[in-house]
Amino acid sequence: MIRGLLIFWGLFSYWEICQAQKDESRQDLDSDSSVIELGEVIVTATRTQRQLSSLPMPSQIITQEEIQQTNTIRLEALLNELTGVVTVPDFGGGEGIQMQGLDAEYTLILVDGVPLIGRQAGTLDVNRITIGNIQQIEIIKGASSSLYGTEALGGVVNIITKKPEDGVHGHLNYRLSSFNTHDLNLNLTYQKEKLGLQLFGNRNSSDGYDLIPDDELKTVNPFYNYTLQSKISYQISTKTDVLLSGRYYYQNQDNIASSTIKGESQLDEWNFQTKVNHQWNPKWSSYLDVYTTSYQASDFLKDINNQFVSNSEFNQLLFLPEFRTTYSIDNHNVIFGIGWRHETLERSNFVQNPVFDSQYFYAQYDGHFANKLNLIAGLRFDKHSEYASQWSPKLALRYEIHRNLAFRGSVGYGFKAPDFRQLYFDFTNSTAGYTVLGYNAVEKRLPEFEAEGALLRNVVPMSELSKPLSPESSINWNIGFQYEPTSRFSIEGNFFRNDIRNLIDIRVIANKTNGQNVFSYYNINRVYTTGFEVNINWKPNQNLTLKGGYQLLYAKDKKAKEAFENGEIFARNSETLQSFQLESKDYFGLFNRSRHMFNVKVFYHVPQWNWNTNLRTTYRSQFGLFDANGNTYLDQYDSFVADYFIIDWAMTKTFHDKIEVGLGIDNILNFTDEINISNIAGRIFYGKVNLKF
Amino acid sequence: MPSLSFFKRFIHFPFYLVGLFMIFSLVSCSDDDDKTDSIPLVSKSFQDLPAQQTSDYSTNPPTIKGEFTRFNLATGQITTGDDWDIAFRGTTILVNGGTASSDDQPTRTGNAGAYIASGTMGSTKNADAGLIQQDSETQLAIPTGSGNGWYNYAGPPSHLITPIAGKVIVVRTHDNHYAKVEILSYYKGAPAEPTSDNETQHYTFNYVYQPNSNTTSFD
Repeated sequence: MIRGLLIFWGLFSYWEICQAQKDESRQDLDSDSSVIELGEVIVTATRTQRQLSSLPMPSQIITQEEIQQTNTIRLEALLNELTGVVTVPDFGGGEGIQMQGLDAEYTLILVDGVPLIGRQAGTLDVNRITIGNIQQIEIIKGASSSLYGTEALGGVVNIITKKPEDGVHGHLNYRLSSFNTHDLNLNLTYQKEKLGLQLFGNRNSSDGYDLIPDDELKTVNPFYNYTLQSKISYQISTKTDVLLSGRYYYQNQDNIASSTIKGESQLDEWNFQTKVNHQWNPKWSSYLDVYTTSYQASDFLKDINNQFVSNSEFNQLLFLPEFRTTYSIDNHNVIFGIGWRHETLERSNFVQNPVFDSQYFYAQYDGHFANKLNLIAGLRFDKHSEYASQWSPKLALRYEIHRNLAFRGSVGYGFKAPDFRQLYFDFTNSTAGYTVLGYNAVEKRLPEFEAEGALLRNVVPMSELSKPLSPESSINWNIGFQYEPTSRFSIEGNFFRNDIRNLIDIRVIANKTNGQNVFSYYNINRVYTTGFEVNINWKPNQNLTLKGGYQLLYAKDKKAKEAFENGEIFARNSETLQSFQLESKDYFGLFNRSRHMFNVKVFYHVPQWNWNTNLRTTYRSQFGLFDANGNTYLDQYDSFVADYFIIDWAMTKTFHDKIEVGLGIDNILNFTDEINISNIAGRIFYGKVNLKF
Repeated sequence: MPSLSFFKRFIHFPFYLVGLFMIFSLVSCSDDDDKTDSIPLVSKSFQDLPAQQTSDYSTNPPTIKGEFTRFNLATGQITTGDDWDIAFRGTTILVNGGTASSDDQPTRTGNAGAYIASGTMGSTKNADAGLIQQDSETQLAIPTGSGNGWYNYAGPPSHLITPIAGKVIVVRTHDNHYAKVEILSYYKGAPAEPTSDNETQHYTFNYVYQPNSNTTSFD
């Protein structure tokens, strides 16, 4: 039904092309075609247009040009090449972003400024996102809840899709790569005076891959997916614009548990956005943004007799209207916003179908003084139906000491609300017999277990469970510099620190009579991540560009650090199996964090041949995925996943400005780690063709 | 005068003799003690003690079956009699003291008890008799459950049972001797890095037994 509607929507927008009227063209101020003219302009950091290099907080842009030159087709591949960013697989099979050492759950992902949903196991799978129609990707590092509320604890990734240019334009792009992977894009845009239209479609399919060939299971099962996106922008008057946009995503993947138990996983996602923009006068303008998105996932497994072995549903809906007003005079800009977040979820293994309601408002001041100082101060308030209200302030400063040298610093608060799973999960493993309960499900379910005679004793007294679960929160600091001695060379450095409180973890709350436990979520850990990031950009000559970046990271649990200092932590000798005491220097830190990461990229461009080539290297130092010596912490004596390099090579050549051909090899060294890293497939050869018209 | 000093020396001589004798007798005394009263500590390990159980989760509560394997720390042998100190089935460890919490457990006939100390075998130099617990109808002296007692349970998919490093089980035996036990592995052959393919429910442990009754020191 929904798919039908959206196909209709697509056809309708196509028909609209013919009905277009002729008038003077003007675009939505908030998402403007002038992005191209101004070069690196970013909207995510302040929700207004700002030049990237002038921002007081660490931020990055991946441009369309870079996407084109590296021949990438999925968001995941692009993000992995950013300094200090790595995508990590979660146990649900998705891939999320780790940024400044913060887990994948703590990065907000936006498309054109509105959030994506569907965090089934906490992370948002970045493989879902095609980048065939992308103008640029904006990344803000550090807590940004002062503008975006929940989830923006570690940072924000905003995917800005292409805006129509004058006239009719389009491109058709096809890429074929190893593992029988096909990716086909069609993008059509139309802009004439008042009316802008866009229609985009993508089909992506693959046979998947198998890192451990001698068992029955594949690492990634075969899949196919479609993305359909359409936009209509219309200028009602010289002062008022309307934008309607819709996006639909469908994925189907084989679900194979063994040679006899098989099924399918399906994903249905859609979103719809209406945005009205009105310029009251040169100083005041307002936006009304109404956004609805739905994410449905269903998985089933059947045995050889066609009987269901498992069948699960996940159905999330978010309704998010927001109104914001900006006031700007020469060097001062103020933005106010007010909004409502209404969220529902129906899911298998839930104690109830929860509804979240949250109202919020925010304000931000962005001012420039004497052409040297930029100050941004923001504050947001979120009132929530299920957990304590949150005030999220942020302050950022940038000071230009010299034309070439600037210092910047920011401090901000970020939070992530407990998710539905952490509150309402009600799951008992049918074979092992243990139970996982969401925090709010405990009060109802535990007495029921007791009545059934399944409960032996409570480990945590019920009185301790009466206080609501608190949102995970962080205070984030960034202090850095930017130095650009010539237009051909620039260097940026940034110290960061994130102090996280109330991290949600899982613990045993009761023992069952079957010898198993009841687990539930709780606020406990205090964690910090701190480090340094440096990025260099150097253009030795017109043809050559070198880019490099490095991140040093320490990510530790404060309680664990204390326990090591107090000599309470032991490890097992791997030969004698006997315990021995560890010292504080033996504590490595959190799991899945690498101390060193760097990237080096070389881009070479020959304009007279319309030819580009590039070689990109990323390095990740050793990291631990689990405790191997029986103390639950990661220490020097544990087994580590070895460090690795990924080297990618790509080239593109354009013929007659219309046809672009690309070739390349991803992961030239054919690096794989079949046990520990499921999301790196091995060497991939590919070719692509791009037709512009 | 020289003769006087010589005389003085002579006068003191018997005292020297007495002193020497006393030192000798003290030394020989303690030698005698060792031989008659104090028996040296016994330091041993046991490989692959089977502790099989079967679990049927189709019933509520699940039905766990299997004999407890009884162990005598003095002999270092598995026993079937009432002279057991600790008994193993699955991840559950009983002591021969207190009361049984279910019918399929062996009857407690002795005065055994236990507690779990934090530290290494080397750093556990004394048993603290005041901490010793016995099994009761509601709680075992050695608690069960992941993270509660001697092991961690990894959960799916590996389901591994890992002995927690730095946990020493201090035991009072059924006949009031003290011992300390460190469980090294729950898998047959005690592989350094067990996987779910390894055969489970086999205990390998080190233990030190104090053969002198009611002596809490492990020095």
